[in-house]
Amino acid sequence: MSGPADAPAGRDLAAEVRRAIAFLEHPPTRGLEPTSDLTIDEELIVHSIGWEPVELVSGLSMVSIPWSATLWSWGQGAITPASSAYEMAFGAAIARIHAQAAEAGGHGVVGVTVERAVHASSVDITLTGTAVRPIGAPAVPPDGIFVSDLSARDFALLTIAGWRPLALVQGASFVYAPRRSVGAVIQQRTQNVELTNYTEAMYNARETAMERMQSMALAVNASGVVEVKVAEGPMPFASHAVAFSAWGTAVRRSDTPGRRIDPAIVVSLDDPTLLFDAANLE
Amino acid sequence: MSDPLSDLPEAVGRRFAEGGFSSGLSVPDFGACIEMGLEPLGFVQGFCAMQWGWFGSQGMRGSMGYPMAQAGGGYSEVFQCPHGMRGSAHRSWGQNFQQTQVEAFWTEGFTSARSRMMDEAIALGAHGIVGVLDTVNEISDLQISEFHLRGTAVRVRDAAPSALVPWTTFLAGQRLAKVFEAGFVPVAVVSAVSSVRVWGYCMTEYLIHGGAGASWLGTDEPQEIEQFVVARMAARDIVRRKARGQLDGDELHGVELDVTEWEVTDDDWEVRCRLRGNRLRRFKDFDPLPAPRPTVRLS
Repeated sequence: MSGPADAPAGRDLAAEVRRAIAFLEHPPTRGLEPTSDLTIDEELIVHSIGWEPVELVSGLSMVSIPWSATLWSWGQGAITPASSAYEMAFGAAIARIHAQAAEAGGHGVVGVTVERAVHASSVDITLTGTAVRPIGAPAVPPDGIFVSDLSARDFALLTIAGWRPLALVQGASFVYAPRRSVGAVIQQRTQNVELTNYTEAMYNARETAMERMQSMALAVNASGVVEVKVAEGPMPFASHAVAFSAWGTAVRRSDTPGRRIDPAIVVSLDDPTLLFDAANLE
Repeated sequence: MSDPLSDLPEAVGRRFAEGGFSSGLSVPDFGACIEMGLEPLGFVQGFCAMQWGWFGSQGMRGSMGYPMAQAGGGYSEVFQCPHGMRGSAHRSWGQNFQQTQVEAFWTEGFTSARSRMMDEAIALGAHGIVGVLDTVNEISDLQISEFHLRGTAVRVRDAAPSALVPWTTFLAGQRLAKVFEAGFVPVAVVSAVSSVRVWGYCMTEYLIHGGAGASWLGTDEPQEIEQFVVARMAARDIVRRKARGQLDGDELHGVELDVTEWEVTDDDWEVRCRLRGNRLRRFKDFDPLPAPRPTVRLS
């Protein structure tokens, strides 16, 4: 039986499916049993650059924040115990996912999801991703194992462009929101005025988080960090404190030459569906 | 072979006898299946309502005030207080242990529902079931959970009837087509559950409830809450091993890992992991794929 009339020449998907189903009569031949949370699209992309998934891996940590009973209520400047706990939790989680990838024979971990939670008395960090390696490569990578939150697609694009991920890097900063005196509040009540101490404190905290992330990247000889994510905001248990955190993938040019990403322009012929909105008639 | 419908409600037989086909596939997925030569035969499903029976046996903290012996070789680890004798309220020991009864509950519920779904597919003469969905619903507050699996039974056009049990996959449509084109054939949906109970000891209790920094703990630096970290890692390792145990040399793709934690009573938690994925078997090597060509869409 042939495929549909408009199928490309030589491609008979139905015949391929029949061949595949018949193969179920045979036992598996490879026996490597890889596990992966990549979609089939992502696996095809990873495979197109000569890599394959090896194992679903994870790393996590939960670290206590010292003096949390009084830490969040009042203060000025940086909240160092919280920053230290955050850094320790992130570092331990990275170390564990790194160890699992090494045990599985992976050369790196891609598509790492970063789950972060800051509680009043502890910090939770959980990392989950898929260990990958060049197809048929030896278990021990020559350049060390990388951990990256880049998606499989972005990992492939980065590799094609001649760059390689080195490490998941992060920085965090916790700071007290500065308070004004009662007199200042009354005096400024009817004015449009910049709260300079507030601006400076928040500004400094953001820069500190970014600086810590960049320092971590430089420590692994990276040229820079891509896909930087920034999260910030007050915490429900501490109305006068703000948390800033930044994380991303440290990258460096690889030894193999890359090629310029030269995207082709496509125009979709699909009409966007326009929803009828009765409000337009008013 | 015995009648596959013998264990199923009478209405199933009547539905199948009416003729025509029903399908849970979306229209694009339906079209892709037709292109693959997979003919939908019918919407198939399986149910299993299970009552939780584990609270009485493993719900209480230890036995006679001592850590519980773990039966059946499951994971268990005891954490001893480093402070010596203190008051009676002091949690002088803690324990992490694998709740094998919870896992058995899940396994039985899932496999029974899956088996009934497959019985329906066998009755239709299907080769496989695509687009499988699985849900677990809590029925009121009676500690009853209902497992429900459903999917669309398909027959491979122009293929001989097979004596094998139908293959199953969470995938359908274009994603399933890509699986075949990538050189894989679906074997079965894989689901595994792990459950680790955490009976906190003094250090876990103090660190979680904000005691870190107290002088008698010996340090005012941040500390890793070891018992919890160990429990979470153990739960993930157990569920991965359980999933691997279902592979028999095949591969597991598209894994979803759901982790839930809840506090059963004071300083008593459960970490539960559920892993789902598609067991696939390679039937040919990857065709050499060209490097992907980046595009920019003008819309």
